[in-house]
Parts: sequence; C-alpha cells; structure tokens
Amino acid sequence: MPRFSNLLRSVKREFDSLTTTQLIFVLFILIFFLLLPVFSILYKAFIFQGHLSIQQFEQTFSDPDMIKYPPNLQFFKLMHRYRFEVLPNGSRILVPLTTLVIGAEGPDFGYIFNSIFVSTCVMIFASIIGTIAAFIMARYNFPGKNIFRVLLFIPLLATPFVNAYVIGKVLGEGGLLNYILRHVLHAPFTVVISGLPAVILIQTLSFFPIVYMNVLSSIINIDPSLEEQAENLGAHGFKLFRTITFPLSLPGLAAGATLVFVFSMEDLGAPIGLAGAFGDGLHNKLMSFYVYTQFQQAFSLEQVSPSAYVVALIMLMIAVVAFMIIKKYVSLRQYAMLAKGGRWSPRVRRLGPLGMLAVYAFMIPLVIISCFPQIGVVVLALTNWATSGAIPTSFTLEYMRALVTKPDVVTAIRNSVTYAGLAILITIILGTSAAYIVIRRKIPGRDIIDVMTTIPIVIPGIIVAVGYLIFFGSVFFKTFMDPFINPGALLVFTYTVRRSPFLTRSVVAGLQQTHVSLEEAAMNLGASRVKTFFSIVIPLISANVIGGAILSFVYMMNEVSTSLLLGAHNPAQGPITFLMSQVIYSTGTVGAVSIAAALGVLLMVLQITAISLSNYILKQRVAFLGV
Amino acid sequence: MVTVRLDNVVKTFGKVVAVDHVTLTINHGEFFSFLGPSGCGKTTTLRVIAGLEWCDSGRIFFDDQEVTDLPPYKRNTGMVFQNYALWPHMTVFDNIAYGLKIRKLPKDEIRRRVKEVLELVKLSGMENRYPTQLSGGQQQRVALARALVVEPRVLLLDEPLSNLDAKLRIEMREEIKRIQKKLGITAIYVTHDQEEAMVISDRIAVLNQGKVMQVGTPQELYRRPRNLFVATFLGRYTIFRGKVSEVDPSRVVTVKAGSLIVKGMPPAPDIKVREGDEVVIIIRPHSFKLIPPAKPHNVIEGIIDWVSYIGPYFEIRVKASGVDFLLNVDPETPVRIGERIKAYVSVEETMVFPISATKDMAYMQELK
Repeated sequence: MPRFSNLLRSVKREFDSLTTTQLIFVLFILIFFLLLPVFSILYKAFIFQGHLSIQQFEQTFSDPDMIKYPPNLQFFKLMHRYRFEVLPNGSRILVPLTTLVIGAEGPDFGYIFNSIFVSTCVMIFASIIGTIAAFIMARYNFPGKNIFRVLLFIPLLATPFVNAYVIGKVLGEGGLLNYILRHVLHAPFTVVISGLPAVILIQTLSFFPIVYMNVLSSIINIDPSLEEQAENLGAHGFKLFRTITFPLSLPGLAAGATLVFVFSMEDLGAPIGLAGAFGDGLHNKLMSFYVYTQFQQAFSLEQVSPSAYVVALIMLMIAVVAFMIIKKYVSLRQYAMLAKGGRWSPRVRRLGPLGMLAVYAFMIPLVIISCFPQIGVVVLALTNWATSGAIPTSFTLEYMRALVTKPDVVTAIRNSVTYAGLAILITIILGTSAAYIVIRRKIPGRDIIDVMTTIPIVIPGIIVAVGYLIFFGSVFFKTFMDPFINPGALLVFTYTVRRSPFLTRSVVAGLQQTHVSLEEAAMNLGASRVKTFFSIVIPLISANVIGGAILSFVYMMNEVSTSLLLGAHNPAQGPITFLMSQVIYSTGTVGAVSIAAALGVLLMVLQITAISLSNYILKQRVAFLGV
Repeated sequence: MVTVRLDNVVKTFGKVVAVDHVTLTINHGEFFSFLGPSGCGKTTTLRVIAGLEWCDSGRIFFDDQEVTDLPPYKRNTGMVFQNYALWPHMTVFDNIAYGLKIRKLPKDEIRRRVKEVLELVKLSGMENRYPTQLSGGQQQRVALARALVVEPRVLLLDEPLSNLDAKLRIEMREEIKRIQKKLGITAIYVTHDQEEAMVISDRIAVLNQGKVMQVGTPQELYRRPRNLFVATFLGRYTIFRGKVSEVDPSRVVTVKAGSLIVKGMPPAPDIKVREGDEVVIIIRPHSFKLIPPAKPHNVIEGIIDWVSYIGPYFEIRVKASGVDFLLNVDPETPVRIGERIKAYVSVEETMVFPISATKDMAYMQELK
C-alpha cells in the first residue's frame, strides 16, 4: 500500500489548519448557496408528481405561448388616422396622420424564442458597434478622444428599469421623438417603437460597452511587432485589419459578445421598464420576465407553473454553454500577447480630415444616443418630466428629498446597505480564501473551485433566485431561512454568490503579481501558514481586496433579479432595486417614477464613486468584467 | 552546524522527473554547491531540503533527525531566494527581525541581534529603509542577514548572485564565503555558473536531468571528471570521437580517430575501456604546450584556423588531421591565422571516455 500511504502523507502535508479552514468555508458557501439551489432547478424540472418524467418539457414545448408556430413576423404596421391640429389663429383642423407602429404586434416567436431572438440581435448589434468603437479608440488620435473615452463608460452605469422607462417615454406615442417629428420637423407621420425591437434597442445601448471594453483590451494587448511585421510584408489599411488585427482581437470579441448574450437573456430592466412606459406587451414576453412573474406572484412553490422550472433550466443551460465559450476564448486571448518583450509603443495614428469626419459621424451620434438613458434618468429625477408630457417644464428637488424623507424609500436604502454590507464581509473572506486556494495551494480539485467562483458572472440572477426559492423554500420551510417569509437573510447570500467574482478575480490578480517566494521566505523563517497569510499575504494584496470589495459592494447595491424575486415575498425587506421595480411597474402613485429615478441617480453616484475609488486604489483601470 | 543527508530523494512534476534518486551527504560546516544547466533539478533539490517542495519518495536528514515530513517552518533553515523575496511592506529592520519575532525573542535581544547581523553584512544604519530604497547588492545583503539572524541549522542559497552585475557578483561571492566560514555554518548553494561554483565551494555536486553526475572538490571535478557530462559542462575543451585500438596495463589507451592516432587515459580509475570501444577524447585548452613535456605525450601539428585574444592568453583553433583543436597559448607567442603550429599534450591530460549508452550518443549529438 505505498501508494495509499503516500496519498495520506501528501494530504497531511497540504491540509494545514489555514487551508482546511479556508477550504471548508469556501466549499460550504459554494455548495450550500450556489450548487444545491441551482441543482434543485434540475430536480424540479425533471420530477413530475413524484416521478422522473419529461412530461413538463412536453407540456412547455407544446404551449403556443412558449413556442409560437408559425411565428408572428409582422415587424411593423402603418396606422392611418386623423387628428386635430391647432392652427396659429386658434382654429382647429382635422389632419391625416400616419403612424408607423414598430414591434407592438410582432415579431412574436413565443417566450423561449423571443428571448433567443432578442439576445442574438443584441449580441450582433452590440458586437458591431462595440468593435468599431474599440478599433477607433485603440488606433486613432483625434480631438476630444478623452471625452469619448469617458462617455463610452456611461451606458454601463446601471439605473435598472428607469433607463428603459426613459427610452419608452421617448419612443412612445406622445414621446420626445414624436414631439420632434411633429413640432420641430413638421413631419406628416409619427413613429411608435415598442415590443421586442424596443428591448433590442435598449439592451444594445446599455451592453455594447461590454464588447467595446473587451475588444479594446484585446487590441491594446496585441504586440505591435505583429502588426509591424505584416506592414513590413506589405499589408496595410483594411487588409491589415482583416488579416491581423481583427483575428487577434477575436478572443476579446467572443468573450464580450457571449457576455452580452447572457446579460440580455437575463435582463429584467428592459421588460419591466418598458411595461412601465407602455403597459404590458410583447416587450415582456421574454423568458426572464415569465420566470419573474411566475415566482414573484406565488405564495408557495405549489402555485408556480411547472413550465417555469423548464424555462429556468433552459436559461441555465444557455448560461453554462456561454461560460464554457468564454473560458475557452479568454485563455486564447493570451496568444495575442505571446511575444511580449521590449517596450511597446502604441500604434496610434493621427487622422486626416476625411477620416476625422467619419469618426465623428460615428462616435457623436453613438455617445449621444447611448448616454441618453442616463441623462434622462437625471432629468426625470430633477424635473416634472414624468407627468409633463414630451418635455419637462419645471425643476424640482422634491424627489431627491424623498430619498431621506419617504419611509418606504428610506427602508429600501437601509435594507440594501445592510444586505450589501453583510454580504461584502462574507465576500471578502470567501474571495480571498478561494483565490488563495486556487492560486497557491496544490489541492486536487482546485480547478473546480476556480470555476465555481467565476461561473456566477454568467448564471442569470433569476436562476439563482429560483434555486433559492425551491431549495430554501422546501428544505427550510417555515424557518428563518424560508425565502417566502424572510427573504432578507437569503439576499445576503445571493449578493455574496453573484458578486464575489469581482473580488475573487481582483485578489487572484493580486496574488499572481506577488511572487510566491515572499511567502516561502516567511515560512522558511519559522512562520506557520496562518501567520504567513496574515503577516505577509494580506498586507501585500490589501489593495486588491479593498478595490475588489468596493466594486462588489456597488454591484450588490444595484443587483436586480434576486432582489426582485426574493424581495417580492416580503416587501418590508425589499432592497432599492425591488422598490424601483414596484414603482415603475405599477406606476401607482403620481411622482413614483421620479422617485425611482432619484434612486437611479443615487445608484449612479455610488457607481461613479466606487469605480474611481477602486481605480485609484488598484492604480489601474478595472476591467469591468474580467472573467 | 549540521550534516544534511539526502537518501534516494525523488521529486516529479507531472511527467518530469526533477530530482531523480539523489543520495548525498553534505558535511557540517561545508560550503556545498549544486551545479548544473537550467532545468537540471538543482533548485528543486534545494527547495526539497527547505521543505518548500515535498519529495515523492526518499528521506532527508539533518544530523540524525528525519525532516522529510516536517513543514518548512519547522526545519530552521535560512534561505536566500534568487529574487531576495524581501517584503516590500516592511523596513530592513522588520524584514530581518521577522524570524526573531516569530521565535518570540525579547525586544531588546531582537534589536541587538539585528544590529549585529547588519554589521556582519556591512549594512549598519540602513534599518529604516524600505527594500525599494536599496540597491541590488544591498537587497542581497539584507536577504542574507535575514536568513542568518535566526541562526539556522543550514544556510540555503538559491542563485543569490544571478541578479547582480558581474563585478558585484565577484565581490559578493567572496563576502558570502567569508561570512560562512566565520560562522562555521553548513551552506548549500545553487548556481548554474561553473566559475562561481568552483571559486566558492568546498565540494560541488554536478546535476543533470535530476541525477547527480559527480560529487567532488572543484579540482577533482575539473581534473578527473567521471563522465562526459561533467567533462564538457566544466570549462572549455577539444572533443572528438575515435575507436580504441589498444589498452596497455598502465591504462594508457591508444585511440584511432580517422588519420589521427593519440594515446590517452580515462581520468578516473573506475572508468573501464576495452579494445574496440567507441570513445570520446576530451582535452582542456590549457593542457597543450608548445614545448614538449618530459612526460609521455601526443603531438599535434596543424594550421591555425582562428585566433582570439582573451587577455591572459590567446585562444586559438587548430585544424589537424580533420579535428578542430582548441588551445590556449601564451600572449607573448606570435600566432597568426594560416600559420603552421606544433603543440604537445601529455597522455595523462588526454582524457578518454567510453560512449556506450544511447544517452551518451544523444548527448554527443547535442554537443555537435
């Protein structure tokens, strides 16, 4: 048995008290608060009346609401109407008015394929826009470049629901777009965009910067000598881009595009925000919204339609496939940087007048349109725009004041801060432990821990929430951990699991930059592993811990899906985003939308502060989603 | 002071055998070096001794105590890392005092011992500097002081001079040797620089592909290499193949290499050569003399092909009977390319190695 005794010996050597404690903690959190809940969806989807069955799949797939066959492909229709116009002399005349209605009645492929259609379109559009923007920003110099650099980040500032509401308000019948068409351009027609096209528009605007940043970092990391060699051999211009630059930035594009696909699929902000602006319609005939309503309205698991589990499982499968694609391409990204050596002088060119014109013609409309939702949120929060029609007419601080005076708003803010605060404490321990085990310890199966700490980036929050409702709702039925009674306690853990990747990745980067011999030197001088960890490792990576923690904290504050699904079961424990969704979706009281906008402004301020702070601490630009 | 004993130590990384059944004894107070090309397993062997890597099998002893399964922090070795591994968030004082604080020594004793060791490495007054404020040589001294201050049983040095410039390297290696002799501590030194190993060591183990090729004093290794690897790894040489045509009882071997016939000897008594064997002849450049020696010798006569002036001597290449000879000649001697030259090398210094194993053949290919 020498093999077995060797194994025993190596286990004894590797599992010192620090490693054992860290490992147990990490495994406990990941198994209990990620794996078991997510796997319980699998269980629920395949178990029908106590038996293993695929009946629920058959039911779901034959439901015409889920998969519509044949699909409705009516993308737009023209409506001819007459309406009164007031002439300058005061008399009123009837004028013919043609309205182009886009998306209201079609396309419609049913819940499942609507989601896939939307995500695919968003992925394609975001990839095209993001890649062009990245190439321009990486390779050309032009006046105002730094302003564009900042503006391209603005769409990433999350203002859940309100940004979609703003777009809805612009695209609607009496919205800003038609106000301009009629009163400024005196056009004989109006346009209304809703349904899936509106979702695609909103999501493309908010997600293209993810592609932009991933492609940008790919291009910047390409060794210039690779392009110089190609030029030396006679390639230039578009040929150089097509044969060298673009292929080498493909890993960044693949990772960015996949993330956009998943984010689009799980997004609740657009469907809920649009429903707030237009009422229910095709824009919320999406998988995410379906699962959301099923679980949000249920008082117990029995009331949930079996199809909801099937849909949740489909979303989970798509996310897992996406993760595998990203993993593959992100490791591929290294090939662009193989030949690192010498000092890189960035290959940035000045533009001629024609080129400059082309760049501005692309960049200026892009940043104006893509920043509009965020600007609109601020306007909504500070004026009477919510009730004044197409354009705001008066300024007010009333809604900002509500943040500190209105009891339910104050409660929501306090809830969010409490959950995120507790979650960040757990996240710090979880993230540093997991990163340390993955990078420094030679424990069998550490790759699995690596995957489990990264994969939450792509797992839709709705899936996590559904998993929690199933797992904790049945195993901890009528206890402190029952999400139908006490969702607040569980929100702490959904925040931890969903947002810890930011901190873990940051600490991993810190450990990779810190030479392992610094720890070995301490152990060589007699310090145990625990002592080494606290006296050497922690001080050396503290910047990464703090930087990562700040980012994680902010993304916890604006976490949407689990906040909505779990919060719904005890509104008194609902966080900020839950309250925002409530006021937007129900649009009950006058001015409610503006309060949501005020909360959106609060979240934006938090994000800007946090990102600047962590950039300052980490002394480098944080890749928003460095998976 | 301690004797370090490795008994059949094996360490693999996946399929790569980094340390291959190494058995060695390092005597107390000895300055011992592991020398070999990169990837030969010398650093891994050192790390196994420090406990920073666990060996797969085999045992390690410090005197009579087995330390094979002891974690690094219970072995009381003092290691100097290649990159010094000074903690950037601590001052020089805190770096050096770290091990003493771990050992819970009283504050004033810590202060006294840090002061002493700083004097020893000639860094007095630098206590409050941070590592980044020191030059490379100073950082090296701090790393040495930090390892020495805890009075370790063994001092382990992992290529400590490789990051210094050439001049400082020579200064520091003398410094390290001086301190080691003064303290009488057992020191194990890892380097790929043969000159450094020769100068600093009492004994050297030459490693290749995880195996110990030979252990001995620098003179033994240089003058009586036991195999082709050691002979070719240390110093420069002339090399050519041939076939043994005669072996006489005094171990003088006659070798025929093409039109050239030379007499040589295996450098160590246990190297066996028989008639008809394929062999390799190795001759050091300084073994050639321009005046015939009194001892039995070979005569080489050929055309000078290349001359380079090294400083203390000329290094010249001579083509003779299809073999490229490398000779050192006195700088006073007039040598010019294209001229004929006659040189002599004693039979004793004409080293003969059998090549039998396929491994040696492959190695020969590499040398070509």
